[in-house]
Amino acid sequence: MSSETTTGSGPTASVNSTEDAVERLHIAGLHAPTDAVLSVRDLNVRFTSENGVVHAVRGVDFDLMPGRTLGIVGESGSGKSVTSLAIMGLLPETAEVTGSVRLRGQELLGLSDKAMCGYRGNDIAMVFQDPLSSLTPVYTVGTQIIEALTIHNPTMSKQAKEARAVELLAMVGIPSPKARLKAFPHEFSGGMRQRVMIAIAIANNPRVLIADEPTTALDVTIQAQVLEVLHTAQEETGAAVVMITHDLGVVAGMADDIMVMYAGKPVETGAVDDIYYNPRMPYTLGLLGAVPRVDVAEKTSLVPIDGLPPNLLHAPTGCSFAPRCPLASDACRDGEPPLAPVPGSALHHAACIKSEALGGDVDVHDIFAAPPVPESRFDAIPRTDRSTVLQLRDIRKHFPLTKGALIKKRIGTVKAVDGLSFDIREGECFSIVGESGSGKTTTLLEIMEFHKDQDGEVVIGGLSNKQAADARTKSAMRRELQMVFQDPTGALDPRFTVYEVLAEPLQNAGMDRPAIRTRIMELMKLVGLQPDHVNRFPNQFSGGQRQRIGIARALAVNPKLVVLDEPVSALDVSVQAGVINLLDKLRAELGLSYLLVAHDLSVVRHISNRVAVMYLGKIVEIGEVDRVFDNPRHPYTRALLSAIPVPDPQVERTRERIILKGDLPSPLDAPKGCNFATRCPVFAALPAAKQEKCLTLEPPLEAVAPSQAARSLQPEAPALDQQFACFFPDGELDDDMLVTHDQAEHHAP
Amino acid sequence: MLKYLAKRGITYVFMIFLTTSAGYFLAVSSLKPALLEQERIPRPTPEQVANSMRLKGLDPDLSPWERYVQWLTGVVTRWDWGRSPNGAYINAEFGDRVWISTRLFLASIILTLIIGVALGVYSAARQYKFQDRVITSYSYLAYIVPAPIAYFLVQLGAININETVGQRIFFVTGISTPGMEPGWAQVVDMAAHYAVPTVAITLVGWGAYQIAQRQYLLDNVNADFVRTARAKGLSRNQAIARHALRVSFIPVAQSIAFTIPAIFAGGFFAEKIFAWPGVGSWSIDAISLQDVNAATATLAYGSVIFALGAILADFATTLVDPRVRVQ
Repeated sequence: MSSETTTGSGPTASVNSTEDAVERLHIAGLHAPTDAVLSVRDLNVRFTSENGVVHAVRGVDFDLMPGRTLGIVGESGSGKSVTSLAIMGLLPETAEVTGSVRLRGQELLGLSDKAMCGYRGNDIAMVFQDPLSSLTPVYTVGTQIIEALTIHNPTMSKQAKEARAVELLAMVGIPSPKARLKAFPHEFSGGMRQRVMIAIAIANNPRVLIADEPTTALDVTIQAQVLEVLHTAQEETGAAVVMITHDLGVVAGMADDIMVMYAGKPVETGAVDDIYYNPRMPYTLGLLGAVPRVDVAEKTSLVPIDGLPPNLLHAPTGCSFAPRCPLASDACRDGEPPLAPVPGSALHHAACIKSEALGGDVDVHDIFAAPPVPESRFDAIPRTDRSTVLQLRDIRKHFPLTKGALIKKRIGTVKAVDGLSFDIREGECFSIVGESGSGKTTTLLEIMEFHKDQDGEVVIGGLSNKQAADARTKSAMRRELQMVFQDPTGALDPRFTVYEVLAEPLQNAGMDRPAIRTRIMELMKLVGLQPDHVNRFPNQFSGGQRQRIGIARALAVNPKLVVLDEPVSALDVSVQAGVINLLDKLRAELGLSYLLVAHDLSVVRHISNRVAVMYLGKIVEIGEVDRVFDNPRHPYTRALLSAIPVPDPQVERTRERIILKGDLPSPLDAPKGCNFATRCPVFAALPAAKQEKCLTLEPPLEAVAPSQAARSLQPEAPALDQQFACFFPDGELDDDMLVTHDQAEHHAP
Repeated sequence: MLKYLAKRGITYVFMIFLTTSAGYFLAVSSLKPALLEQERIPRPTPEQVANSMRLKGLDPDLSPWERYVQWLTGVVTRWDWGRSPNGAYINAEFGDRVWISTRLFLASIILTLIIGVALGVYSAARQYKFQDRVITSYSYLAYIVPAPIAYFLVQLGAININETVGQRIFFVTGISTPGMEPGWAQVVDMAAHYAVPTVAITLVGWGAYQIAQRQYLLDNVNADFVRTARAKGLSRNQAIARHALRVSFIPVAQSIAFTIPAIFAGGFFAEKIFAWPGVGSWSIDAISLQDVNAATATLAYGSVIFALGAILADFATTLVDPRVRVQ
């Protein structure tokens, strides 16, 4: 990071004459380090919308050194993606981009689309967020890689291009690359497509590689793989990387420098350790406190950041974060603070007038007034003494796979859920985790189905699906169990006011009008919404508020069990923290039980009491959450936990991770023995005789035996609450699947 | 691919058989040519009528099932589709009619497609600019104006040109001038007859393709994969031409294949207005003349053309979209 500071933009910039701006840029250019591959100065992007001019990026400055990685962190709408597209020159023509973007001293802004084409894909390349839609569906991946080569190397021979394409595919870890050249994008999984995208991006050995949320759409195990590929790609090409993400964990291990953006402006920049261990801007502090940690057992509330990011239609008159900042004083509202150097570190800058009072030793929970950890009346009662609210016994859901148009032939079975049993007691949160395709959602659907022809028994609050599944039992069941959905926008009827949304389940339950009215007011207060907002429509609320409405709707009929299907995955980090805290509070206050399905294991660890890890329709490990997370026994659980990046640079740099090979296999070719054998790091290192056992026998779920020491102390100790399905939990891990990043290599200045 | 097409072919043959049989039963039980004969002067006795009908294979005394078996045997064993009440052979007439329809529509279908798709691409590239507004407005107008009125307008235009020039350049009706000597004069005469209907049908037809192609292309212009292509170093126009165009053509290709049969079999207005006696007008006439066999034959023709269109649509889709390619 250079020591440049921009003298506020917006009002000041418009007051300055154009000449001043030119002069300023000129000076800025002179001060830019000559060895930077990419220098961005005072980058501003404005979009003209129907409501006026949206100032999406307001004065971004940074220098990128060769081989270094810059992480740009921010929530949606903070301007991080717009910044990257502005550098690439890929914004729509209507966007007004000013400032300076220099690639090895050459100014890129103001170049024509045609002139930019010489740089794009050659010196500067980009990997996009959604690998499923980023490849043209009608061309083979070979064609698409070769196209990138042809554009910039018109004289390259056909054989040479093909050889290079094979080499690239091999580099990004695609098996049998030669054959896969002729495959179409739809024949690849999401993770594989992202690898292809990376191969295209590095085809011409770019000097700068911009990765815009490259792993957000992927499963954690696949995310770990793709991050590893990015790492390799950077090593192979020596490119400088700009990594854009909202996930502080992802960049902790990868980035050398971090730029935190808020409301279109960098609010804190510095070396990665500065940002994570010594944050000086309340927003950064809040972001760090808002993410739950998968590696920490101690339960603290998350830090919620109240309010919403400002509307960029109007130039802020003070610090843009002031309205949400608990430390804000009148001085904060008087002019936007510039990005000023933090004493003690030359590279560390923060845009906060109170930065000196902050730092690593400040407790973020105090600043943001995080609520105390709620205590439930059930916490004191041992689990076995609480009553069961939901019990599943050997639930199975098999889908026949058929072929043929007129006469369907059964050619196989997809075992989406295969013999699932678990129970949920009063006041506890039980989570199911696993990759997409592991059967989590099918399990929920099976519970909601509640039909007597189901394979297996579902008991909800004492009502069994086998006994009487008539309409009355069903509606009684619905009063016991309610659901909160993943996408709060899609789950609420846009033509219903909040009042109507909340009244519907109550009317169904036969409540009279005055009672409904009182109950709705009660519910609004319960979920932290203003009761006088009941006549608004869902689109007048933010994402987090909509999810609160969804929760209120579920709670309307006083259920005992709430099924939460990825309740926070669609929300931004700071908003997510508020919703998680709310769920925690409601569980304690109302004595609710939760069945949570989530792919984010940090959230799961934070909120759950017990957890089940699913793989290909089966539970491979189940038990008390801290036991499973601290002492995972099944190799899959270990791999899953190892795949989650931790927002702590030291830990990220040094820890050993298990990178699983390949994707979740199709449930069609599920092996006869252990489902996980095809990807298992333990299996790969086993001698052939033991491998045989894994391949032929299905490991049953067995309780973890208490250790010798524990048994000698307390011979009558009850079995531990942890079960797993593996024959060789203590087996060695295969070396190929273990990756440790060399610390020295990463810490070179 | 061949196996797949063969499989589809068999399915369609079966479906054509079903529709044609159902059509025959409907026709044979509702159309009574004998009643029409009764109106002739001098009025023939019922016995005479029945006799004449029996000679043409249209015996009114037989049950529908018996007549169906008789008709089907004729079709299957001798490829004889029967006779009309006036004694004409369906087979002979059918060939003429199909040929006339094909000549009337073939050129304009090809022109419609090329112009429609090209204008769609052109207007999508200039979205909301003047050219786009003019072209797209015209297309909506062509949608709204009923085809017969548009045909009449073109005819009037042609007549106007003839009058202004003072010489008959265009023929607004008919297929050719009878008694022309083969040679240059015949070619000119043919062109003069073809011009007006071809222009009219094309002018009315391209709007649908233009609107569809423009819409689908615009849907894809800002697609993620176009952005990827630009990030590789293609200019905006190159990226659209190479990546968006082909993807946007997939749904258009499908609709093209399905509109061809509709034009062939249903060009009743064009055939009537330009006095080209093709299949479309024949099918309407057959019903008013209580002609069971002709009505069934036109129905069968429609089914065959439709099946061909469906196979063509499958084929076109597989050609442009690898995702539906059959292994």
